[in-house]
Amino acid sequence: MNPIITGFAKGIERFGIEPSRVCVASDIPFEPEVVSHLGIDFFHTTRGRSIAFGTGLKLANPTLRVVLFVGDLMTLGGNHFVHAGRRNMELLVICVNNFVYGKIGGQPTPSTPITFSPYATFEEPFNVPHLANSCGAVYTARWTALHTDELTISMTEALGKQGFSVIEVLSPGPNYYKGIKEIESNLIDFYFENSVIKNGEDPRNVGISPEGKIVVGKFTDKERPTFIDSYNTQLTKVLGDKFIPYGGKNG
Amino acid sequence: MNPITNGSLGLGVLKMKADPRDVNTGVYYIDGDVAAGQGALAAGCKFIGGYPITPSTEAAEAFARIAPQAGAMFIQMEDELASIAAVVGASWAGVKSMTITSGPGFSLMMESIGFGAMLETPFVLLNIQRAGPSTGVPTKTGQADMMQSRWGSHGDYEIIVISPDSPQEMFDYTIKAFNLAERYRCPVMVMADECVGHMTEKVAIPPADEIEVEPRRFYDGKINEYLPFRPGEDLVPRMAKAGDGHKLYITGLIHDERGYPIKNEEYKSTYTKRLVDKIRLNKEKIIELIEEETDDAEVVVVSYGISSRVAVKGIEKAREKGIKVGSLRLITVWPFPDAKIAELAKTVKAFVVPEINYGQIVFEVERCSYGEANVVLVPHGGGGVHNPDDMFDAIEYASKEKKRIEGTIEYKTRLEKSVFEEGGKLQE
Repeated sequence: MNPIITGFAKGIERFGIEPSRVCVASDIPFEPEVVSHLGIDFFHTTRGRSIAFGTGLKLANPTLRVVLFVGDLMTLGGNHFVHAGRRNMELLVICVNNFVYGKIGGQPTPSTPITFSPYATFEEPFNVPHLANSCGAVYTARWTALHTDELTISMTEALGKQGFSVIEVLSPGPNYYKGIKEIESNLIDFYFENSVIKNGEDPRNVGISPEGKIVVGKFTDKERPTFIDSYNTQLTKVLGDKFIPYGGKNG
Repeated sequence: MNPITNGSLGLGVLKMKADPRDVNTGVYYIDGDVAAGQGALAAGCKFIGGYPITPSTEAAEAFARIAPQAGAMFIQMEDELASIAAVVGASWAGVKSMTITSGPGFSLMMESIGFGAMLETPFVLLNIQRAGPSTGVPTKTGQADMMQSRWGSHGDYEIIVISPDSPQEMFDYTIKAFNLAERYRCPVMVMADECVGHMTEKVAIPPADEIEVEPRRFYDGKINEYLPFRPGEDLVPRMAKAGDGHKLYITGLIHDERGYPIKNEEYKSTYTKRLVDKIRLNKEKIIELIEEETDDAEVVVVSYGISSRVAVKGIEKAREKGIKVGSLRLITVWPFPDAKIAELAKTVKAFVVPEINYGQIVFEVERCSYGEANVVLVPHGGGGVHNPDDMFDAIEYASKEKKRIEGTIEYKTRLEKSVFEEGGKLQE
C-alpha cells in the first residue's frame, strides 16, 4: 500500500479512534479511495474544495474527525486553506506534494521549485509549512514518503490536535511516472537521501530549493482555541442561557 | 428530530410536523429575506454557509441571529465556492443545509451545484436575483438567472427551481424547497428577486403542527449492505450520513450504486438517464402552478416571481375591458410545466410572458406551444419592475394580433420607447 496511507492507517490505530468516526475528503489529484476499505467514509470532491467541504462535514457533526488529503491545495484551494487556518477549524490536512500536476501531464504547480515546463519554472514556490504556520495552524510537519516511522508519529500526533493541522508529504507523482519505475524509485530515494531532519526549525527556513537540502521534521506544535471553542465562548458571552452550546452531538 | 422511516426503499410516505423549537409562530411584518431565514429554520435547517452579497444579506443575517438559539450553525465562509461546498459537506454529515446568494455569488456556486446533483445531495440554494450581468446593479431587481439556475453547471443533470412572489411565499416555499430536496435527493433553488427579498409585508408563521416537513430519508437496513446510489421505485436512493460506519465512497466521478467510479459508456448513459429521470418522471408530483380563468381565455399571462404580481394589475384592467385573459403562475419553474403549456396552447390565441430579462422562460413557453399560439415577451432590462400599463397593453395587443409563425414576439415597453425612440433620455 501507499506509504502515506499506511502511515495514516497506523496513525489511526495508534491514536485509537474508531475508523468509522473518521471522514476523509480529498480533491482531484490525490485520491486515497482505499481508505473506504479501512472503514473510513471517503468523499472525493471537486478540485480544491476538500477543505471547504470538510468544514461543512465538521460543523454539521463536530464528533467526526475530518481528514483531508489534498493536492490542488495551494491553487484552487488556497483561499480555503488560508481561512481554515485563520479560524483554526479542526481539520487535519495531509498535503501530498509531488511538485507537479502529475495526472494531466506534468505542468508546474505553485510548489514546483525546478524545471517542469518547456522553458523551465521561474516562479517562487510556496513553502507549505511556513504558509500553514502563518495562517494559524497548530501543527505543521513535513516528511518524505520514505520517512515512514516519523510520518506515522506525526499522523498520530496530528489526529490528537485540537485545531488546524498540516502535514506535508513529499512523494513522487505516481501517475506521471507510471511505467518508468526507475525514475519513480530514484526520485523517492532522492527526496529521502537529500533530506535533513530538523525538528522545531522555524518554518520560515524550510523552503525547498533545488540547491539546498530538503528540511523535514515537525515545525509547529501549539495550542489555540478552535473555531467551535471560540464560537461557544463568544455566543455564551453574548446570549447567556439562551445559547445552545455547539458541538458534541449532531446539531 | 427523529426521522420516521417506513422500512422500505421507495414510495413510502415520510411526512412529519415541524419541530416547535424551530418555529417562531406569530404574525410578523418582515421582508422576504427574513421570512426565508425563518422558513429555513422551520424546515429544520441546521447549517447555513454563506458569503454576504446584496440583496440577499438579510436572509443570512436573519438565520445567523436565530441559529445559536436553535442549535443551528451559521458560518460566513471565505467565498461562495466555499459556502456551497460546505453546504454539500454538511448535508452528507446528516443535517439539512442551505446557502444564500445573489448573481455574482450564484455564478461561483455553479461548480458545486453540479457536484451536489451528481452526489444526489439534498440542499437548498436561495438566490435573491439582482440585475446582471456581472456586478450589474447590486441593489436592484432582475430575473435573468433563470436559465443559469437550470443549466449553469456543466454536464447533464436536473434540479428543481421554485419562484416565490411575496414574503409569505418566501417563508412557505423555502420550507417546500427543503421538502423537495429531501424527497428527491437533489439541490433545490428558491429563485426570488430583489423586490421580493426586500419587500416588507405581513407574514403569518403558523404553529409547528401545521407545517409539513419532510425528514431525511435515511437508509435503515443492515449496515454493510448500504448502497448510496441504489434507487428506489421512484428512482430516488436513500441517504446515509458520514460517521455511521457505512464505509461511504462518494465521488463526483460517474459511479455505480456502491459509489465506485465507472467509466464505460454504457454505464454513463444509464446513470445520467436516472439522474434526469428522477426529476422528469416525477414531474407531475413536483410541479406547482396557480391557474386562473384559463378555461375560456384568449390570452394567458405566464409569469413567475415579482413579475406575476405586477401582471395582476394588467390582467384586471384587461378583464374590465372585456378581454378574456387567464393567468398561469409558475411556482415551480424547473422542471418546466411543458404539458400544461402545450394543453393551453391548443385553446388560447396567445401567451404573454413578462419577465425581467430579454427572454429566458418565454422561449420555453414558445417551445411548448408548438406553434399553436403566439408568444409575446414583455421584456425588462432589469433594475426595476414592469410598468403595469405595459402588461395591459401587451395583453390587448396579444388579443388582437393575428397568428404568426416566426417565434416569440417582443413587445416594446414604454421604457424602451422612451429611451430608444424619443431619443436623448439615454444620454441624460
